[in-house]
Amino acid sequence: MQLLEVRKLHFNPAVPPVLDGVSLRIEPGQTVGLCGPGASGKSLLLKILCGLVRPEGGRVEIDGLDLCTCSSAALRAVQSRIGMLFQNNALFDSMTVADNVSFPLRQRAIQQGIRLDEAYVRQLVHERLRAVGLADHADKLPSQLSGGQRKRVALARAVMTRPELIIYDEPTAGLDPVTTARIYDLLRRERDETGATVIIVSSDVEALMSFAPRMVMLYRGCLRYDGPTDAMANSPDPVVRQFVRGELEGPL
Amino acid sequence: MRWAWLMMAGVARRLLRVVALTLRGALRARREPGELQRQLYQVGNRSLLFVMVTLGFIGMVLVFQTCLQINRVTGDLSQVGAEFAKILVHEFGPSLTAMMLATRVGAGIAAEVGSMIVTEQVDALRMCGVEPVEYLIVPRFLASLVMTLVLSIVGTVVALGMGGLTAYSSFHVPPSVFFDLSRVRLGDVATGIIKCLAYGAAIPIISGFCGLEARGGSEGVGWATTRAVVSSSFAVIVLDFLISGVAFFTLQASG
Repeated sequence: MQLLEVRKLHFNPAVPPVLDGVSLRIEPGQTVGLCGPGASGKSLLLKILCGLVRPEGGRVEIDGLDLCTCSSAALRAVQSRIGMLFQNNALFDSMTVADNVSFPLRQRAIQQGIRLDEAYVRQLVHERLRAVGLADHADKLPSQLSGGQRKRVALARAVMTRPELIIYDEPTAGLDPVTTARIYDLLRRERDETGATVIIVSSDVEALMSFAPRMVMLYRGCLRYDGPTDAMANSPDPVVRQFVRGELEGPL
Repeated sequence: MRWAWLMMAGVARRLLRVVALTLRGALRARREPGELQRQLYQVGNRSLLFVMVTLGFIGMVLVFQTCLQINRVTGDLSQVGAEFAKILVHEFGPSLTAMMLATRVGAGIAAEVGSMIVTEQVDALRMCGVEPVEYLIVPRFLASLVMTLVLSIVGTVVALGMGGLTAYSSFHVPPSVFFDLSRVRLGDVATGIIKCLAYGAAIPIISGFCGLEARGGSEGVGWATTRAVVSSSFAVIVLDFLISGVAFFTLQASG
């Protein structure tokens, strides 16, 4: 994945606009943390970035391909190169954990017309499940797992095909501190191993800032901050400063 | 007003897209292994008893009422069986079976697809490079196409058999007189088969479309399911009317 570029993104299903004129440019291999108060358009921005939602104006370019105007076949091809961890996991509830994790791999093989070696798939699935600490749960259904376990299965599925761009939407929402630390450890290992471009959204700003060297902040559908993480706490913008420091007093 | 037209045009456009993708996917060889068999089982075997019982009772009621009316007018019951077989083959067998499938299969498809929409599983499919219509609707479409035909044949046979039993037990019409297939022409059989295929195609596409249009939480899934059952039953009746009308002047004209 060469480069991800969003220019002048508009999206307004209603008034006031959910997203209004967001421009971003993400280089390959970068890790970008996306934050902002609730209902500032973070999840929507992620969905637009990976082509699930079409913006009303503007363009999203990945590798020079405009996601808003390309054919649906080209869009699916780009999407299969993106790993996405959904906020609510979105595990396939009719499939076992192992089938969930191997699904992206099998689909890619079908699309490319390759026959997968069953033993190889099983081995790989086992390896990935062991990496997220769920090797014993391969034959369970998602409904039989706890919230943290489901999140880890979703994580294993998102990175199964070694995608060039990985998008994490709230990877630690609703999890206890130890599980959170474990998930961030997994994310870090995954990033170091693959060198993939990572976009991550989290309400846990502290953990996010220790993970991503570049931060982007959305506020009421507009880009409020885009720059290095270190400079964020001392930003001249009072909104950004208050949000990062978590202060009660301020414009927010 | 303008707003309503725009919305209807949007629905029609998205429905046409689902139809086109389903037909394209059905013609393509690339399939999920085992998925078609699973759907054949879901649509077929799971509906078998339901269709048999319903069509059996309908056969009994229709024959009973017909014999009752004829007894009041002429009292000649010798033609009831022959006419019943004819109308079952080209009309009641396929249409009533399809009405039953529209409720059972339609609701199942819409609820499953709809809940996958609201839990973002369909988005997850897209992110794996999978076209949801191709993955979710095409196997159900093929299974429904086959099974509507098979279940219609079963339903027709059961309705005819139960009708014959009623005629014999309540009106003393001997089975040798009742089971008379001489009136059933090739045109009637062809009409019946065309209807089966049309219903079998319409039910999963309409129900799948209603499922894909589901928004919101479990309430949205409920709405989608209701809409799927109502719309696919309605589609069965309208298709029945249209095909019957055309067939009356073409396929069945000689008979």
